[in-house]
Amino acid sequence: MTANTATGRYSALGSLLVAALFVALGAITLYDTLSYSDVDSKVFPRAAAILLIIASLLSILLTLLKPVADEGFGDGSWWRRAMLVCAMLGACALMPAFGFITASTAAFVGALIAAMHDKWQLRSAIIYGFSGAIIVGGFYSLFRFGLSVPLP
Amino acid sequence: MDIGNFLAALTPLNLMFALFGVAAGTIIGSIPGLTATMAVAVLVPITFSMEPASALILLGAIYTGAIYGGAYSAILLNTPGTPSAIATTFDGYPMAKQGKGDLAVALACFASVFGGLVGAFALLLLAPPLSRVALAFGPVEYFWLSIFGLSLIASLSNGNLAKGLAGGALGLILSTVGVAEVSADIRLTFGSQTMIGGFGVVGALIGLYCIPVLIDLVAVPDRHLQVEKGVQSVKIMPAFQLAMNSKFNLLRSSIIGTLVGILPGAGGSVAGLVAYSEVKRNAKPGQRFGEGEPDGLIATESANNATVGGGFIPTLVLGIPGTPPDAVILGALLVQGVRTGPALFESGGGSIAYTFVYGLLIATVLMLPVGLLIGRYAYKSIVSIPKAVLVPTVAFMTIIGTFAIRNSVSDVAIMILLGVFGWVVGRFGFAASPIVLGLILGPIAEQGFVQAWIIGSAVGDLPGMFFGRPITQAIIAFTLLSVIYPIVLAHRRQRRDTNQEHLS
Repeated sequence: MTANTATGRYSALGSLLVAALFVALGAITLYDTLSYSDVDSKVFPRAAAILLIIASLLSILLTLLKPVADEGFGDGSWWRRAMLVCAMLGACALMPAFGFITASTAAFVGALIAAMHDKWQLRSAIIYGFSGAIIVGGFYSLFRFGLSVPLP
Repeated sequence: MDIGNFLAALTPLNLMFALFGVAAGTIIGSIPGLTATMAVAVLVPITFSMEPASALILLGAIYTGAIYGGAYSAILLNTPGTPSAIATTFDGYPMAKQGKGDLAVALACFASVFGGLVGAFALLLLAPPLSRVALAFGPVEYFWLSIFGLSLIASLSNGNLAKGLAGGALGLILSTVGVAEVSADIRLTFGSQTMIGGFGVVGALIGLYCIPVLIDLVAVPDRHLQVEKGVQSVKIMPAFQLAMNSKFNLLRSSIIGTLVGILPGAGGSVAGLVAYSEVKRNAKPGQRFGEGEPDGLIATESANNATVGGGFIPTLVLGIPGTPPDAVILGALLVQGVRTGPALFESGGGSIAYTFVYGLLIATVLMLPVGLLIGRYAYKSIVSIPKAVLVPTVAFMTIIGTFAIRNSVSDVAIMILLGVFGWVVGRFGFAASPIVLGLILGPIAEQGFVQAWIIGSAVGDLPGMFFGRPITQAIIAFTLLSVIYPIVLAHRRQRRDTNQEHLS
């Protein structure tokens, strides 16, 4: 094994882990099919699970034989990514208790903070806040009253 | 079919309905989560008090506009506005990333109008004979058609077939979550009530395509899309030239879209995928599909809009809706007292049917100026809005759009988690497109397979059922060709390169 191959295999660790996760998902699916009462329900998920396991094992084998460095997660800011996802999931958690407008406003503000790379200034804060209010209010009205979607 | 029906469609009121319908449909279709079915369903009650022909023209115009509108967000945000625009993301978004978003938006408009016209003309001239195609398709044909669609995985795998196949298989498994359609077994829910409804296709699409883009967007300060020489309007003439240079692709994809539209349950997403598969199989040297190839965009957009006219063929002639919006329109027809069937194009109902078809043709033509105008503003907005506003706006639209599909907060949470999952696995070479392909084609494949298996077992001829029917054999041949031909081409190219190296 050359040093380059070892480095490639190390940088392909993510691919190996994801493929291993897919093998596990395939195995879980196969296990779940044991509980189905009708054979018609089993055939398709079983076939798909077997295909998933074989393709994932093949991917692991190919990665081990000929490692190719993964793209990886890149250099971007992790706190911004995490904040965006947390803001959106937070809105889901808040929605039943606080209603759609409050929850989605919180999500909008969270995503705005995550996406704001320029220096905060009073003017931009007012403009962006005002834009957010119009967007949230406008879409809420469109869906709630125009399209009769029962938003909480 | 006479000039009177055409003139009836041209009344100022009907023209106004067509214009309004196309504009409203385009805007609704461009919002992720709002599908063409939803656009049509929401506006059906408005049509109850209208003249039947006017009501149909309005609904047809909304439908055709919504299918085209889905291309905007597919091109500019990598998020299909409607499921029909899935394949539009393959080359549309890469074009936008290269600074050709204006060209892509205009090209999508030309392709959509052409496809829409081919579908509408097929409806006008060939409805009764073409409706027999729908009857010729049984469960096994649907099964093989979905396998043909799945063969596209080979070309969506970014050079790693094993990872593409794994993604496709995962999509197939995700499509089985919830209640089994044939036997009603509860599958892969692990006791969770939330999972009984399964993964909604639209929510999954939004999650897998849009959330990864948002996660990547917030991480770095770069602009969302590159723009050549400042903000421009849409490039009409270069797009028209590109479309004209791809006449055969336009025509072939439109015919594919019309034929797939005729098949009940297949719809615009399958049509776009099949047309994309075909254009890729016939790729010319130097064409790089998946990296911003205009021919890919032309194929998908012409095919998905051709399904509008195609879908109306079985709806009007047989009373079998070709696509979900057709089912809603069929309901509106029945409320209006219009009886569908072969006689609709001959007896008294014929005048309404022909006025509607002419109205659909007019609405499709009106889509050109309306689409280019809205496309211009959509493009300008997306490239000029600061990222700090664009990201929260799109994030908010994904939340409200996903919620609106089934009025479920759980669907929103699943959409976000699926998006994060798609982003993580995508970073390690497991692309989202094969997963989506499996998720969409899984139910069609499973239902077709199980029904064909039951029928084949009952008649005691399973091989004959799966391989013996002429249409089945043709689809299997195309599937094998789609899989094997690119491998043979790549092998030939490799041999040629090796020979040239030896010579030099």
